Amino acid sequence: MVDIASLIIQQSINGIVMGCLYVMVALGLTLIYGVMNQINFAHADFVTLGAFASYFFVKWMGGGYLISILVAFLAGGVLGYIINLTIFAPLRDRGDELRPLIATIGASILLENGSLLFFGPVPYQYDTPYADAIRIGKIFFTEQSLLVVLVASAAIAALYAFMKFTFTGKALRAISQDRETAGLMGINQAFLIMLTIVIASAMAGMAGAMLGPILVLTPFAGASVVVKAFAIVIIGGFGNMEGTIIAGLLVGLIEAFTTQYLGSGVIDLVVFGLLLVMLLVRPTGLIAEKKEENV
Amino acid sequence: MSTNIKSNKVVIRLIVITKRKFGEVMQKNLKSLCRLLPFIAVGLMGFTQVAQSQEKVIRIGLLYPISGPGSYFGVMGREGTDLAIEQLNKTGVNGYKFVVDYQDSQCSPLAATNVVKKTLENFKPHIVVGEECSDATLAVAPILEEAKVPLLNAGSATMKLTGSGYKYAFRIFPNARQQTDSFAVNAIRKMNAKTAVLLYEKTNAGIDISDSFEKTFTLLGGKVVSRIDFGRDVNDFTSIATRIASLGPVDVILTSALEGQTVKIAQALAQAGVVKGGGGKAVQIGTIWLPWGFDQKAGKSALGYTRIVQFDPNETRPMVQNFVKAYKAKYGADKVPTHINAHAYDTIMIIAEAVRKGAKDSESIRSEMLKMKDVEVTTGKITFGEDGQNQNMSVIHFVETQPDLSWKTLNW
Repeated sequence: MVDIASLIIQQSINGIVMGCLYVMVALGLTLIYGVMNQINFAHADFVTLGAFASYFFVKWMGGGYLISILVAFLAGGVLGYIINLTIFAPLRDRGDELRPLIATIGASILLENGSLLFFGPVPYQYDTPYADAIRIGKIFFTEQSLLVVLVASAAIAALYAFMKFTFTGKALRAISQDRETAGLMGINQAFLIMLTIVIASAMAGMAGAMLGPILVLTPFAGASVVVKAFAIVIIGGFGNMEGTIIAGLLVGLIEAFTTQYLGSGVIDLVVFGLLLVMLLVRPTGLIAEKKEENV
Repeated sequence: MSTNIKSNKVVIRLIVITKRKFGEVMQKNLKSLCRLLPFIAVGLMGFTQVAQSQEKVIRIGLLYPISGPGSYFGVMGREGTDLAIEQLNKTGVNGYKFVVDYQDSQCSPLAATNVVKKTLENFKPHIVVGEECSDATLAVAPILEEAKVPLLNAGSATMKLTGSGYKYAFRIFPNARQQTDSFAVNAIRKMNAKTAVLLYEKTNAGIDISDSFEKTFTLLGGKVVSRIDFGRDVNDFTSIATRIASLGPVDVILTSALEGQTVKIAQALAQAGVVKGGGGKAVQIGTIWLPWGFDQKAGKSALGYTRIVQFDPNETRPMVQNFVKAYKAKYGADKVPTHINAHAYDTIMIIAEAVRKGAKDSESIRSEMLKMKDVEVTTGKITFGEDGQNQNMSVIHFVETQPDLSWKTLNW
């Protein structure tokens, strides 16, 4: 019998690992919303395609799993660039906010069915070479779990530093605060919006590579994670990076402890119950975005 | 201008002459034509009958999950079906050929409901085969009952399918009780199990199998220490494995889930050190869910996994070996047929058997299936009870995963 302290530590580790994966997926969503005020319904498919890019790099090309994470990152970014260039940008130029939103749904259906055509419906078995368990007393975690936490932490730190300390990051934040004024200051909106989509898609692709060995890998695999990611973005506060990170880890921990004490069958009930409570009590999310009203 | 007028006159004259000649010919032949009319009519009727006899077909609607997490059922089901249809249509059965209509029912009640209505309206099947997942099968059963079209199922375990009084529902697959009764007995007597955890997807199949196992297991003196259900959207089973580890020593863990999730469960339980594959003591057990090849996917985590299978490709019965040979010839020598391939193949062969006995429409297929007694197929023998459930459980194999990931057939 595991003692209560070990159990709490163990489930906390499980929750943080899952939370890190959720954060990686949710950050892309919140980034796009923050900069463009747009929800990207195709985000799940970038996760799926990242997982497949990693899988085929390892299985077909004989590449290493660690490099495959970079490959998935690049594949996500390239796909994001193409989708923006061919679908989102032309629609945005017409000045209609609804069309790009609907286009994300169209892009999602297109990518899902395209994946179904190329990859087929049968689940792929993607095993990580880092599946061995590390045991410290009664606590265990796999090398893959450690990798997830390290890669997620590095990615979050890099994104945070990019947004906080680089000129391009500051320009992105300027656009998210006031697009028109940022444009008047000479900031190239079209380029920065493209960059936002590319970064968000690349992060989704990378998350896909990390999730690949965990998911039942099919063309629809990303959908199950993205539903949670949407909840995380709302709980954290739309467009708020810090809120998304906290909410992602919180949801991971809630899932782990709900599984332990209430049963995994009620996870969605608890998570989406929390989502509704947040919408009712604190609709701005855990950390409210500081926006100054122009007078 | 004058040339045009001349040519027009010529054309008009030609038309007039043609009409006159046609009238004369018609007048001359009208009497002969009247005399010939009955013979022409009889000839036409005969021709139609010949055409009809050439087109005598049995239409089989197939509801298989082609997409989603249960799509491996559909892909393998289609292979088995196509092989059977190819074999049968070489000669036909009693002058009948078999045509099929595949629909993607996605292991989902909603999708299955939509496609069964579509196939009933457009394809007008004499019989419908499917679905694999219990929830989807239960959704289409009342629709087919109302349409008076038999449903032949080979993959759903729920008790409700043949326990709800449907007259048109048949199943060659053992129901939850048939599968778990013998397993609970063997868990107690052969595996010396005293405690069990029931780990199952929250579906009719998962719930019914767990309920049936618990009933028999506790009746025989065993104790179920925990029941843990989960949805099909769960990806990471580490927290569930941690919970099971926190329960203390457990002898058997009955697992009921689709293949993809079961692989992840086996790996998580091994990583948590609960099951044999991870150095623990517990043994994962399962009913007929997993296809041949699961052990290779789960790797060393699957060590000791003990389960029921209804089809063993190594079984020496000629029917099994002929099927394996034909399957390999069609799909590749390196491929091994699974129980899903075999079940799909068997369903078509059962329909063919009904046609061989004289069935030609939905009603006669139903009545011939009810009369069947010990009809041999690759997955055993078929004798339908009045409720439509196969009563003959003669071919049930217990197998255990070995360190080299092969099966060892247990003589239970």
